[in-house]
Amino acid sequence: MSKQAGKGGAGKGKKPTKSGADDKREDALQAVIIADYFQDRFKPFTQDTPRCLLPLVNVPAIEYTLEFLAYNGVQEVYIYCGAHSERIENYIEESSRWRPGSPISPFSNLEFIRVSDATSVGDFLRDLDKRSLISGDFILVHGDLVSNIQLDAILAKHRARREANRDACMTMVLRSIGDCDHRIARARGITPVFFIDPTDSRCLEYEEKHPFQRSKKIPMDSALFKHGSVEARSDLIDCGIDICTPDMLALWSESFDYELPRKNFLHGVLKDWELNGKLIYTEIIDDSYAARASNLQMYDCISKDILERWTIPFVPDSNLMHDQTYRRVKNNSYLENGVLVERNSQVIQSAIGSSTSVQSDSTIRKSVIGRRCKIGKNVKIENSYIFDDTVIGDGTTVIHSIIAGSVVVGENCNIPEGSLISYNVQIDNGVQLPSKPTARISVTTDNGDDVENDASLVGARGKGANYQVLSDDSDSEDEDEDADRDPSAMLNSLVYSLEGLNLSTESLDTFASDSEYNSDEDEEHGGYLHPGDGQRERLSSFTSDDAGKPDAFHSDAVNGLVDALRSDDNDDFDGAKLEFMGLRLANNASDSSMRRAIAIAFVNRASELLEVEHGGLEPTKAAEKALTAKNGAVKFIKEVGVGGEDVKQQSEFALAVQKGLVGVKGLETGRAGTLLAAMLQQLYNLDVLEEDGILAWWVDKRADEGESMTRVKEKCRVLVEWLENADEEDSEEESDDEDEDSD
Amino acid sequence: MAPSHAGYAPSLDKLVKSLKGNSLEQSIESLIFLLKRRQVSGDDCAVVTAHILLQVVARSKWSDVDQLLGRIQNAGARLARAAPHEPVIGNIVRRVLGLIRDEASEDRNADDLGSETASEIQSLAPSNPPPAQPQRPPPVPILTRSTTISGGLPVSKSMFNLLSVASAGDSPMTGASTPVSQAQGASVHSLRSEVIDGIEEIMDEIQQADDQIASFADIQIHPGEFILAYQPTKTVERFLVKAASKRKFTVLIASIAPPQPGATEAPYAALRKKLNAHGVTTINLASNGLMAYIPRVNKVIFGAKAVYQNGGLLVDSGACIAAEAAREFLKPVIVLSPIYKFCPEDPSDEAVIGELGNPSTFVSYASGPQVEELEVENTVTDYIPPALVDVYITNLGPQTRHHFASILADHYKVEDIGYSLHDGEV
Repeated sequence: MSKQAGKGGAGKGKKPTKSGADDKREDALQAVIIADYFQDRFKPFTQDTPRCLLPLVNVPAIEYTLEFLAYNGVQEVYIYCGAHSERIENYIEESSRWRPGSPISPFSNLEFIRVSDATSVGDFLRDLDKRSLISGDFILVHGDLVSNIQLDAILAKHRARREANRDACMTMVLRSIGDCDHRIARARGITPVFFIDPTDSRCLEYEEKHPFQRSKKIPMDSALFKHGSVEARSDLIDCGIDICTPDMLALWSESFDYELPRKNFLHGVLKDWELNGKLIYTEIIDDSYAARASNLQMYDCISKDILERWTIPFVPDSNLMHDQTYRRVKNNSYLENGVLVERNSQVIQSAIGSSTSVQSDSTIRKSVIGRRCKIGKNVKIENSYIFDDTVIGDGTTVIHSIIAGSVVVGENCNIPEGSLISYNVQIDNGVQLPSKPTARISVTTDNGDDVENDASLVGARGKGANYQVLSDDSDSEDEDEDADRDPSAMLNSLVYSLEGLNLSTESLDTFASDSEYNSDEDEEHGGYLHPGDGQRERLSSFTSDDAGKPDAFHSDAVNGLVDALRSDDNDDFDGAKLEFMGLRLANNASDSSMRRAIAIAFVNRASELLEVEHGGLEPTKAAEKALTAKNGAVKFIKEVGVGGEDVKQQSEFALAVQKGLVGVKGLETGRAGTLLAAMLQQLYNLDVLEEDGILAWWVDKRADEGESMTRVKEKCRVLVEWLENADEEDSEEESDDEDEDSD
Repeated sequence: MAPSHAGYAPSLDKLVKSLKGNSLEQSIESLIFLLKRRQVSGDDCAVVTAHILLQVVARSKWSDVDQLLGRIQNAGARLARAAPHEPVIGNIVRRVLGLIRDEASEDRNADDLGSETASEIQSLAPSNPPPAQPQRPPPVPILTRSTTISGGLPVSKSMFNLLSVASAGDSPMTGASTPVSQAQGASVHSLRSEVIDGIEEIMDEIQQADDQIASFADIQIHPGEFILAYQPTKTVERFLVKAASKRKFTVLIASIAPPQPGATEAPYAALRKKLNAHGVTTINLASNGLMAYIPRVNKVIFGAKAVYQNGGLLVDSGACIAAEAAREFLKPVIVLSPIYKFCPEDPSDEAVIGELGNPSTFVSYASGPQVEELEVENTVTDYIPPALVDVYITNLGPQTRHHFASILADHYKVEDIGYSLHDGEV
């Protein structure tokens, strides 16, 4: 603590450039590892094991990251863990090399930081800002990074830029992959698009594309055209290595709703460049390797790259872990000591861990097999990843699958492309796993309970069943450890998987059913591991792609507003308003989506108040309380929600309120109608809506779509009539058929 | 290899600087990982191994010779395992082990006032900076080739094996153990300082080796000759520059690596500049054009990463092509290798297959279809069988492989030859 205070001072006094630079050189290089992703792309493997401990060519992924940092001379490391943090901590504690205080650790300091209520990477970084552990430039990486980049030159450039201009707060390291078809480009899911000034490699704007997007167009800020020359590059692998200054953390703190380092933060900071004045630079490398095992396809891709030695020196026969004994043998394979390969068996371009035996006449090609496995006779394994202690029976074929540890696969089975078999599953002899949809087998459910064995899937004597990520409120997103998650956290997690778009089932389903935010897991999951074919056709079945982004905005905005309305301690609505506007800017939300979000937020609050546990108020009281309890709320609706004096806007808002009420779950239609009437009246009384607006809504055809809409609307007849009577001139043409059933 | 200017990345210089401040274990570990991450490689390995072993002698706790030998063996085996592609490390470890045995037996002799094993003391001599040793007249290349063909190799090899196997049988450490126990304190102290002196001498030897080899340059290179230098190492560069100061000749520089994209200068620009300054013409060859020039060439020269006891070489990849081509046209092949690169063992399987480097030297990772469809094997080392080499120029003068047995016997103790560095305890 004392140290950082001193260093903080040094950092401040850095403006006189020369002396500051010298101080800096003496400083130890710091790095922060984000070892939690708030995603469940690796399920079911990450049920009990955090992603960064999954073996990547038989070495836990985090070893590559730590080794990368050591390779670049990092001295102090802070690791942010979320889910399974104890597993990661234990792993490090037990590692003779990385253990804090170990005499042989290359780091002078390695610390874990736990953030109990973190729901996103943004929370980590805001926490980091509060802790003020960081004294100077630091390297921000993720726990699943594999890279052999030498950062020295990049660090020096970054430092030079920062000294020239204090607003240069971040340098992103990106790997160019050319414009040809590339397996790693397909695997990464979303395609980041960086708008870069080629003269000084400053990043001007950031957008993301994903394969489900129908339009191939990328929105571009017109301000970009004023900026001399711009390159839009989508041929870059974002390997998540950022060289940051503490200023960058301050930016995170300022924008409390940013969650993702790229989609939210980078996009937002660049958009608001004129406000914050911060400059973000890119460093595009084309000679070293860098990639993140951020989804299963990347896992597949990186494993192949390691076997093919693109990642040198991080290759199996470097034996980076102390107990490893890999040797390169013929056919470009790597065997550890004690591997037994019987005659007539072939091991081609594969890595096999110690004490594994491969019986005769088997072929293993482009695969990774862990330690102590038993591979039977006449087995064929291709492009697959098998963790430790697994048994594969005679005559079985395994193609392009992942089989976790301690699995038993019987004789003469067929494991087709894309299968995922989690820990401790047993598969009976002669089982043919389905190829469409591909199997995803686990012995536990998403909640961690044991599953009922599915004999039709794994055979009579098998163990395990198809794994489903539970939908709705019990959706356990694996890296999230706090038990009482509020719905917004869950929605956030889905936002993450939308962002990630790993092309595996979850995200496909998420897309398909994005309006409801529940992802049933029964759909096929064919996209996995071979993204090239198949998913294009499937795209057509998705709802319009642009629903994804506004919905991200929508859920965040609604939750933010409802939370603000709920809060008892604070009567002020300004904070919520600010947050809402921030979200709107960050997401570039349209007026209509804002209107919808606001209407739904107030509707949700009002309908909530009807419920017994929230006081069981009468509809009129509930509407009044929802709308007027907070100072400024009415003004907010008027200015932002309705957005003007225009009749059309007012009727739109009324329509949004109506739709929102119809959509509220557990609210029976009659009561919804009463509440709608109460709210509209309340809004009328508060001068938010004028009678013209309400009447325009009344005649709007869209308000009659569907039975429940009509029924809800009917309840407002009294109000409408009253309005018409109050303003008699323009009521004539409507009143004739609406007079009688007004109760 | 290690770009070590003022950056954060660990490097050899930083390690050597930090040796004093760090604990011994820390130093060993950091070296192990420098080796594993290829941040220290090639000739640097020898120096840094000597540095570390010096620290082991100076700072680890030991009370008799056996313990010291154990410590060195342990540390040495760990280093050697970390970089199986760098046999030099094992050589230095064996040299130090031999040094300790010598010093110990010297002590014993002093204690016993006996002078029985004068021969053992004398074998310490080579670890002194060596030019004191009489230089053999350099063999005329033509002659050597004829001897090569005559095949004296199998004899010396088998005899050598005979010896080493026999000695490996009995416990390697017994020779020195007993006597030291007597006057322990004093003798441990003196042994420590003597061994440290010895290791420093080895370090000096490593440093001076290139210069000493270069001193034979004007004997090997004659005026007007065409010399093919395949991927000149530092040793070869110095050799050529030294020769250039006395002779006028032409150097053809061949290399296999494709020019780096963005490189502004032709490869080996610094060397060419130096040679041109002396009025020596240089020609750069792409390696695939190498064969065509061989008839015009008088000699082929390259440096070795290691020389095995059978006379085989571990070299940069592609040198084997040059050597084969030279053999085809009956041109002499001259190998420059300091004595410390002579390994008292046969090449391992890995050495014969060759080490694989990064495929991105030849195929850019950015070219997707190639990454997917091609299997790129970029061997960075070659093994050259002994029959292709004519002369080995060491810091002790030109040698043929018929003398290897005696060279190796001069520098390594039989006990240590039998000791395998690659399977000690972890």
